[in-house]
Amino acid sequence: MMAALRRNTELSLILLGALITAGAYALGSLGRLSTLPADIVPFLVVVLGLLLAAHVATRALAPGADGTLLPLAGLLNGLGYVFIARLDEDLAGLQATWTAVGVGAYILTLLVVRRVRDLQRYQWTFALGGIVLLLLPLVPGLGRTINGARIWVSLGPVNFQPGEFAKLALALFFAAYLVERRELLSRLLFRVGPIRLPEPRHLLPVLLAWAVSLVVMVAQKDLGSSLLFFALFVVMLWISTERISYVAMGGLLFSAGAVLAWTQFGHVQDRVDIWLDPWSDAQGAGYQLVQASFALAWGGLVGTGIGLGDPGRIPAAETDFIFAAIGEELGLLGGTAVLAAFVLLVGVGLRTAVRSDHPEPFEKLLAVGLTTIMAVQAFIIIGGVLRVVPLTGVTLPFVSYGGSSLLANYVLLALLVRISDDSARRAGEVPERTRATARVGRR
Amino acid sequence: MNRQIRRLGAALLVCYAALFVQLNVLQLGRASEYNDSPLNNRKIVRDFTNPRGRIITADGVVVAESVPSDDRFRYQRTYPTGDLFSQVTGYFSFTYGSDGLEKTYNDQLAGQTQRQRVRGFLDLFVDKLRVGDLSLSMRADVQQVAKDELAGREGSVVALDPRTGAVLALWSAPAYDPNELASHDPEQTRLARERLLAEPGKPLLGNAYRERYFPGSTFKVVTAAAALEEGTVTATEPVYPVRREYVPPLTTRPLRNFGGSACGGNLFAILRVSCNTAFAEMGVQVGAAGMVAGAQAFGFNDTPPIDLPRPAPSRFPDTSFFEQNDPLLAQAAIGQNEVQATPLQMALAVAGIANGGTVMAPYTVEEVRDERGELIEETEPQVWHQAVSPATAATVRDAMVGVVQDGTASRMQIPGVTVAGKTGTAQLGTDPPSSHAWVVGFAPAENPRVAVAVLLKGQPGVSEVTGGTLAAPIARAVMETVLAAPDPLEGDPDAPPTTPPSSITVPPPDTGAPPDTSTPDTTTPEEETPPSATSTSAPPQDEEPDVTIVPPTTVPTASTPAPDAPPEAPPTDPSTTGAPTTDAPSTTATTSPSGPTTAAADSGPPGTGTTPSVG
Repeated sequence: MMAALRRNTELSLILLGALITAGAYALGSLGRLSTLPADIVPFLVVVLGLLLAAHVATRALAPGADGTLLPLAGLLNGLGYVFIARLDEDLAGLQATWTAVGVGAYILTLLVVRRVRDLQRYQWTFALGGIVLLLLPLVPGLGRTINGARIWVSLGPVNFQPGEFAKLALALFFAAYLVERRELLSRLLFRVGPIRLPEPRHLLPVLLAWAVSLVVMVAQKDLGSSLLFFALFVVMLWISTERISYVAMGGLLFSAGAVLAWTQFGHVQDRVDIWLDPWSDAQGAGYQLVQASFALAWGGLVGTGIGLGDPGRIPAAETDFIFAAIGEELGLLGGTAVLAAFVLLVGVGLRTAVRSDHPEPFEKLLAVGLTTIMAVQAFIIIGGVLRVVPLTGVTLPFVSYGGSSLLANYVLLALLVRISDDSARRAGEVPERTRATARVGRR
Repeated sequence: MNRQIRRLGAALLVCYAALFVQLNVLQLGRASEYNDSPLNNRKIVRDFTNPRGRIITADGVVVAESVPSDDRFRYQRTYPTGDLFSQVTGYFSFTYGSDGLEKTYNDQLAGQTQRQRVRGFLDLFVDKLRVGDLSLSMRADVQQVAKDELAGREGSVVALDPRTGAVLALWSAPAYDPNELASHDPEQTRLARERLLAEPGKPLLGNAYRERYFPGSTFKVVTAAAALEEGTVTATEPVYPVRREYVPPLTTRPLRNFGGSACGGNLFAILRVSCNTAFAEMGVQVGAAGMVAGAQAFGFNDTPPIDLPRPAPSRFPDTSFFEQNDPLLAQAAIGQNEVQATPLQMALAVAGIANGGTVMAPYTVEEVRDERGELIEETEPQVWHQAVSPATAATVRDAMVGVVQDGTASRMQIPGVTVAGKTGTAQLGTDPPSSHAWVVGFAPAENPRVAVAVLLKGQPGVSEVTGGTLAAPIARAVMETVLAAPDPLEGDPDAPPTTPPSSITVPPPDTGAPPDTSTPDTTTPEEETPPSATSTSAPPQDEEPDVTIVPPTTVPTASTPAPDAPPEAPPTDPSTTGAPTTDAPSTTATTSPSGPTTAAADSGPPGTGTTPSVG
């Protein structure tokens, strides 16, 4: 059966991924210290354990889901961990903990969310929750500014970014709302010049939510998330209404906003200048980008080998610039592998969306939204590191160090897995006995 | 919606394709540009933490090597011979980069050349530590003699093999100890470098091949070669009038000989005593075009292709400079005014004369071998300039032999060897008077194995004696040391053809001097075998009364000339300009300085481009 096939594929891919991760870990230690890591066996055991736990949960709870989602995420996570361990052992310990928590969240999400469309009911909860989460860092005493962005909240010893979860919440809200109103929104009656707009009152709540989010993000100086959010909104509007005008409008708005930001905000100008020519201030503002380019060039085709390069020179190599570290030590081949992993993830996510054929396209839209978040976020940060676009501070999903990011991404993954499983069930790809345990029923 | 979703997928794919393209650009396309950027420390760190090959002289002395060290750099670059080879090996420092062979052969020493890295297919995937060892053509014993003879005075010594261009010695003082700059302690390195930069003699510069000086009378060798090549002069014609001064065309300002002496005669005579007036006129007769072409034929205005970083080209002004300006041309012909030469260039010039008119490209590294001893690179001697024809070279050579036998360079004589040379004094116009003392030469003249140039900076005194007294003994010691060892090219079928041994004859100095009394033994105008020649050469003489023209007896050619001795006169030596040294050690002391008419010779050029008058 398809489901069994997928799960077996998933199992073998997970095993492969775990071996690759362990191998990379060993190479990293050999490269740096010329000795095998003392904890290589426990490491392998833990990696396998976590991934197998997630796999078993998927077998039990979402057996029809696509079999490549989890292994891809696991591989990226493992690779990221190896590099974090190579760069900073303390952070590695934390990342390991967060990975475990993340896998736990994955399983929990699969457990809690049995039918994705049930989430539709909570759209306003999600909207409110999302905005609250966004605003949380601005609360004095609770929020903290790190690296110029006030997006962090500290609870005791732990710093987390509520914004990562806000993205998920707001994506859920958008999907739900747009599904309800898409007919209305697709009727573009109003004409303002060459632009056709829908009736404002339909668009208003969404616009409001979006605008508030944007303002908050700008106030927090989190331009990367603003861009991500904007893209998410435009894409979901377009997909739900099937009106390309929204993309055109979005493009116009974005250009206007970008020009406005560039003229009004000094730090935006700086970012653009450094993007165009980081060597103009190679020791100051451009240092990070220059070092990233040097690191990538040094890696060449096959890289220097894990542990044998010098990625520590790049500021934020464990977080935003981890791709440069990978590019240096694994070369063009390794960097392309990571790119390919993301392309595959996005591809599977979109295919899940396409295959989702419930009459109420909430799941379809949600899948698109979730995939878009991951795709655009990865594009923004890799593009920033490679100087294809100006640099903004977002994490590379699954790879960068960051607890909140990892958690949120695993929840995102679980939702995608759930949606994939739902379509598989409806397509009859899941055998009877599994159906029973999942207590699903067609509605 | 599915259609839109698919379009979204395509759009995202395009975006990621752009990322892939840019990744290629950064990691492959522009990689070498980024890797070589001076802002990029990665190369330096890698080179500094890896071992480097050794640098070894031709006589087996290790002058640079990497020894393991306990700190984070893992290897310490040491220079066992201290400052002796500092100008050649250069230094290898973390913060200040590198110089010398450490720089030009950096990739070979670090084992990073393509050839060293990829010796087999597997090497594409495996990275091993490799190094390359450099074998120098230079000899530590000769270098040590150069250093000892210079005895702490500021100056340079360059010795090379004229047949191949291999550098045998390259020394200039003051020098520095590269160990100080290779230290792992940044503070120590910084202090050392500051101290060296502040030192007045510019020890870090490598004066032997990077600093230019007025060559003085040593340039007359080039002038003579140019004139012979152009046909303006021959070994016997013209015979320049004996006079104290010469007024070039287009001016009224006379050009004088050193010390106000008078001199003249044929080529051999005027070279022997280094006659300013004659050579100045010769330069004007050759003309600007001929002089420029002649100088450039020897390598002036061209950068010597030596395998050390940033060698300086020597300068001879171009023809436009001399347009309507014969006085400047006259001065240039005697190595003054705008002529500037590095010691390396002067050594190359006489090496060209020694090598039948062909100047070979200089090099210091003979071979590069990898850590297994396998040959990676080998230097093939290359021709740098075809300066003059072999006939011209032979004539100049013979004239230079005369300079050593009984001219200003007698202190360069080596028992049993025919030596060719030329002295030079470049006056510096200081008060009290001082000058650069030069000497150039090669030996053995009939089959030269070594060509040298010696420069002593800022010596007291301004007479031609300065060059002959102070610099010549250094040149002699260096040449003796080279000749004491067996010829490395002996029996080598690939050795470049040497100029056929010709008889060295020193024709009578045809200054037209009447047969003089005080010259018992002298160069008889006969064919002489080299070993005997020197022993019978007359000591430098310093007097010369009147001069009569005597036709030259021999024209030195490859064949053995059988000169017909002119019936009269034991050829006395040089003309009125007088031999170099009044205080010359008379080796075969026959002639006693008698004539008051000639003062001690100095026809050395007043060096600093001032008006060509004495002093």
